[in-house]
Amino acid sequence: MTARTKAHAEPILAARDIVNRFGKQVVHDKLSLEIMRGEIIGIAGGSGSGKSVLLKTLVGLHQPDAGEVLLNGKAVQSIGAAEKAALIGVLFQQGALFSSLSVAQNIMLPMREHTALAAKEQEQIAAMKLALAGLPADSGIKFPSALSGGMVKRAAFARALALDPKILFLDEPTSDLDPIAASGIDALIRQLNDGLGITVVIVTHDLTTLFTICGRIAVLVDGKITVGTANKLMQSDHPWIHEFFHGPRAEGAMKARNMSHGN
Amino acid sequence: MTSVSVSSQPASEDPSRQAAVVSGDGDQLALVGALDIGTLAEARNSLEKWSKHGPSRSLDLAKLENLDTPGALFLCGLHDKGVELTGIRAEHRALLDLICQLDLKPLPRVEFVPRWRQIVIRLGKGAHDARHETIDLIIFVGRAASWTVNALIHPSYLRPAAISRHVSETGIQALPIIGLMAVMMAVVLGYQGVAQLRPYGGEDFTINLVAVSVLREMAVLITAIMVAGRSGSSFTAEIGVMQTREEVDALKVMGIEPMQVLVVPRVIALVIALPLLTFFADIMGLVGGAAISEFLLDVSPTQYLTRLPHVVDGSDFFVGLFKAPIFAFFIATIGCMHGLRVSGSAESVGRETTRAVVKSIFLVLVLDAFFSILFEKLGV
Repeated sequence: MTARTKAHAEPILAARDIVNRFGKQVVHDKLSLEIMRGEIIGIAGGSGSGKSVLLKTLVGLHQPDAGEVLLNGKAVQSIGAAEKAALIGVLFQQGALFSSLSVAQNIMLPMREHTALAAKEQEQIAAMKLALAGLPADSGIKFPSALSGGMVKRAAFARALALDPKILFLDEPTSDLDPIAASGIDALIRQLNDGLGITVVIVTHDLTTLFTICGRIAVLVDGKITVGTANKLMQSDHPWIHEFFHGPRAEGAMKARNMSHGN
Repeated sequence: MTSVSVSSQPASEDPSRQAAVVSGDGDQLALVGALDIGTLAEARNSLEKWSKHGPSRSLDLAKLENLDTPGALFLCGLHDKGVELTGIRAEHRALLDLICQLDLKPLPRVEFVPRWRQIVIRLGKGAHDARHETIDLIIFVGRAASWTVNALIHPSYLRPAAISRHVSETGIQALPIIGLMAVMMAVVLGYQGVAQLRPYGGEDFTINLVAVSVLREMAVLITAIMVAGRSGSSFTAEIGVMQTREEVDALKVMGIEPMQVLVVPRVIALVIALPLLTFFADIMGLVGGAAISEFLLDVSPTQYLTRLPHVVDGSDFFVGLFKAPIFAFFIATIGCMHGLRVSGSAESVGRETTRAVVKSIFLVLVLDAFFSILFEKLGV
């Protein structure tokens, strides 16, 4: 709660006039987005609206056709590999854990690459990240193929946090999870945001995630982005946004939000 | 009392990177600067000894600007050793609370197995797997054969569209590469033959050597190996991908037998395509032989053609061609079998594809050796 009510003075990440097109189809039409330090922002949109492309553009995996992305005031494409690794953590949709490495080795890989820490210290830190992500220590020696869907997400979380990034990108963190595991992930995101002060960008369809933990929601529709709090967006008269926030699923998610906010 | 007074310069060339500086002496120290994953090692070095000296020590954190989770973990460790942390900034409080209340256990060790035991275990597993694979193969070959025969008896079960697509993919599209390889192989054989036979004045027999070995063995062998690598693997990959997307299960639920729609058309198509490809390779091999004769033996193509009926007879040609459908059956069956054995994950598609290719080439060579002995005994 504290993190969400914090004053967001400066943007940690700013996307300006992003244009992405594939062939003749324009996915992003000069969209701009500012993400503030310490906030949790959700990016929502229909299937095929270009959420994943936007995420890839924001982290610098995709070069937009026009426009720029500034991370900490610097163009994301020009940031060096080590510096970028310390700034950005990404949780990919399928986890993207390296299948040939154990979970602990997965977490230690960026540390081994970018820090001079001794192996023993790396292991201690990996054990801490596992605990932070809510995994028992003995899951560290398991290989990704032996993990359940929820555990894969948590392990990928632990790896995304390996270098204490300032900004964490989550691509569909609760998809394919049962409601209990999904709520666990939501709680984890909020806990990390409160404790570490980490900025979180969530790309998701999950209305409960959007309504309960995201301070602001960016809705991607018709190649443009509309940003606001859930309450503000509910009053939008754009038909798609209206449908999105007033459908039967949205009603249930709003109930969950009211419950978790205690009012 | 030891007096610790460390002031380390920023270690890296990056000016924005702060260092962890320990200042003060005796029991009261202060940590200044940044304690993060980059400066943790130096901070640990400066504080490790000091922290062991027992309780009633304190570390002031009021001037600590940056703290991350590894730094917090280190401070929690100091706290557990009895060091009092004072002047904690508000923004670090939540992080320290979060990290210190984690229930931390060291990572468990992976059980160490001595090398000699690993070898024994692997040998045993290998033997066990080989036995099961052989049984599986025999069962699957039997099922594939029975379904194929069944489809031939009831032509309405045949799927002409699928068969013709597979004939086109495995046969027609392979023509250029098979032709090229057959010519190359004849050239290689020709050069070796001339080099070995010339000292005895028998270099003219190179024509016999090339023609007979191309027709009897090399054309069918090189075609079968090429097709196993090209089409057997693609059968495994195609069916394997269907398996990972649960398409095979969807067929079963709809009451359609995967053997009938996936395996039989591929088997029949390859049994049609491989003999035709072998015939093509025969011709191209003989063309290669003609080229060699022209360049190395001064035998003109017309002379070569007139000599050919005297050096080879029909049995050489048919012995080679006879083997093609048998090889084709096994290549297609093994490819399909491994495709159906794919389990869920994408890695297993790659693994099964490799296995299918290795197994089918191995089986082709074993069968070829068997046929060589058989025809020798039969005197064909």
